[in-house]
Amino acid sequence: MTVTRGRDVAGALRLDVDAVVVGTGAGGAAMLRELARAGLSCAALEEGGHHAPVDFTQREDEMFPLLFQEGGGRATSDLAIRVLQGRGVGGSTVHNTNLCKRTPPEILDLWARRHHVTGMGVRDLEPAFRTIEQDLSVSQIPDGQVNPNNEALRRGATALGWKNAALSHNRVGCQASGFCELGCAYDAKQNAVKVLIPQAVAAGARVFSDAKVDRVTTSNGRATGVAGHLLDDRGRPKAALDVRAKVVVLSASAVGSAWLARRSGLPDPHAQAGRSLRMHPGAVVAGRFRDPVHGHKGIPQSWECTEWLSFEEGSPRRTWIVPAFAHPIGTASTLPGFGRDHMARMRDYNRLAVLTAMLHDETSGVVEAEDTRPVLHYRMIEDDRAALARGLVACARILFAAGAIEVTFPAIPPVTVRSARELDALDTSFVRPHGTPLSAVHPMGTLRMGDDPRTSVVSSRGEHHQVKGLFVADGSLFPTSLGGPPQISIYAFALHLAKHVIASARG
Amino acid sequence: MKLPRRRVVKAAVAAGLVAAGGVVAVVRTRGYEAPGRALVAVSPWQYAVLQHVARRFCAPDRDGVPDADAIDVAGFCDRWIAEMSPVTRKDLLGLLGYVEHVLPVTCGLGRRFTALPVEAQDRALSALERSSVDLLRGGFQGLKALIFLGYYRDPRTWSIAGYDGPLVRRPARGWWP
Repeated sequence: MTVTRGRDVAGALRLDVDAVVVGTGAGGAAMLRELARAGLSCAALEEGGHHAPVDFTQREDEMFPLLFQEGGGRATSDLAIRVLQGRGVGGSTVHNTNLCKRTPPEILDLWARRHHVTGMGVRDLEPAFRTIEQDLSVSQIPDGQVNPNNEALRRGATALGWKNAALSHNRVGCQASGFCELGCAYDAKQNAVKVLIPQAVAAGARVFSDAKVDRVTTSNGRATGVAGHLLDDRGRPKAALDVRAKVVVLSASAVGSAWLARRSGLPDPHAQAGRSLRMHPGAVVAGRFRDPVHGHKGIPQSWECTEWLSFEEGSPRRTWIVPAFAHPIGTASTLPGFGRDHMARMRDYNRLAVLTAMLHDETSGVVEAEDTRPVLHYRMIEDDRAALARGLVACARILFAAGAIEVTFPAIPPVTVRSARELDALDTSFVRPHGTPLSAVHPMGTLRMGDDPRTSVVSSRGEHHQVKGLFVADGSLFPTSLGGPPQISIYAFALHLAKHVIASARG
Repeated sequence: MKLPRRRVVKAAVAAGLVAAGGVVAVVRTRGYEAPGRALVAVSPWQYAVLQHVARRFCAPDRDGVPDADAIDVAGFCDRWIAEMSPVTRKDLLGLLGYVEHVLPVTCGLGRRFTALPVEAQDRALSALERSSVDLLRGGFQGLKALIFLGYYRDPRTWSIAGYDGPLVRRPARGWWP
């Protein structure tokens, strides 16, 4: 057993360690391993449970409550955007689709130029990226394993002459079941919980699940630990949790870490904590084909189209296009309408290829701390809305070019077009919050890094500007949207910043 | 699925008081049949609303398809709601109150939702789906997600989509293109 379940701990949990890490996703697990290997006594606290491959039943109704925050029901405060985030040891690396792309050089350059980030250039980060890609066995999905949904993207984008390419994943021994987003029953994901947590534990780290942190404790401008409570098997508080530490690392995601920072009342003279929330909000477009596609089978998201993705600020082309398929419950929730018409649409399930346009967003949202949970405010700006609409139309063009006989935007009411020519005159005003279902899986940027305390929360070393010994190692760090999957950046940033945490703990 | 937050409840209650003249609180618990089962999170009238909404959302498109009652969607929702956080649960139950007592009034329908003929129920739900109040549209999506979670979780419904279900408990080899 490498993880101690908080629910099994008798009485309160009190620890005195060099370092405590809050959260065990990509950032927390990578940081924990580095701290343990440096010889620090350290512990990681995870509010969710610890689940093994045998627990992953490939059923949506059973996996949503097990693997996702708020049972998969987290959303922005206006209910316009569903926000899917992981919960449990391994965080979102347990349910993600294993996409591994390095931080774009243009983004790192932007951060250096505009956000006063230093020491995080391509060359600075190269060792960390190389290390984590090796550790997680990152490799490109071979041609023979591209499923028909992804093949439709490749075929359509190629026919249009648009940039497209295979993606790299962290999977070994994959069975191509297509159930990645419900946890891998075959233990093929080379992720935080499979690779890094065991290495951290082997190096002496202690990991506790069902351990919810409520606040960071400080004294004289320095972090002194964290406090919270252990949870029982239904997620209810059962006993006190009190960890004293020389350094504290927040790795609870851009939502959880920001919530914790705000709830703890940490000094924030420039009101930066929780601000600048980005999410990569996206929507889907479904193409109906004559022949079966079986989009839910095989490896998801093995192909991308980057024709509509520019990293230039204010660009009208700011969407990353990838396939996105769901199992029946997710599909039913997204398809428009209800009743007989809805069921008739469900009958096309196996003939659908679905693409998503994920927005490289410039909208600035906020995470607030409301009582026991975070509240996400995010009002999409018009430029973002328009960019998303362009991306969705591009998805539709790809689907037609791939041979779709009909393309549906799941808007309210639904919009169905039967030829690419119809797209030229399409009124896309339906693409807006509450006009079409939006979802986001990449919250980031709420405790952003930079060397100017007026515009950032932590330094380029990852340390809080106002609270010494308090570090951040998760997607909160990003000063802007990434424009691509964040997991490998989060892992690499944690590895890169670990030396500063170690130095701080050693005093 | 996201279930509505406090502001949905506030909007619902406010609209209810204006549109229904405060009648909601007086009549909302009367005239409902006992569900004939033990409920864990909802009251009999809330169960009835879930049952009626589920019947409309999951209306079969052809003979031989199990309906929402056969799948016990409302019973599933009751159990699911019991596991929600108190804030979310309160919001959702507020939305059920809105659907039952206020929504029909805003649609010019004279009776509570569960007493309406199915065509009028469909009309009311469509109006909620396209409401000019964004939070109510969000609430509709949350309710829809909950109902479909209850319906499409059941293997008897998978043939509708031609879905062959989980691979675990079947031979280990997965699917390759």
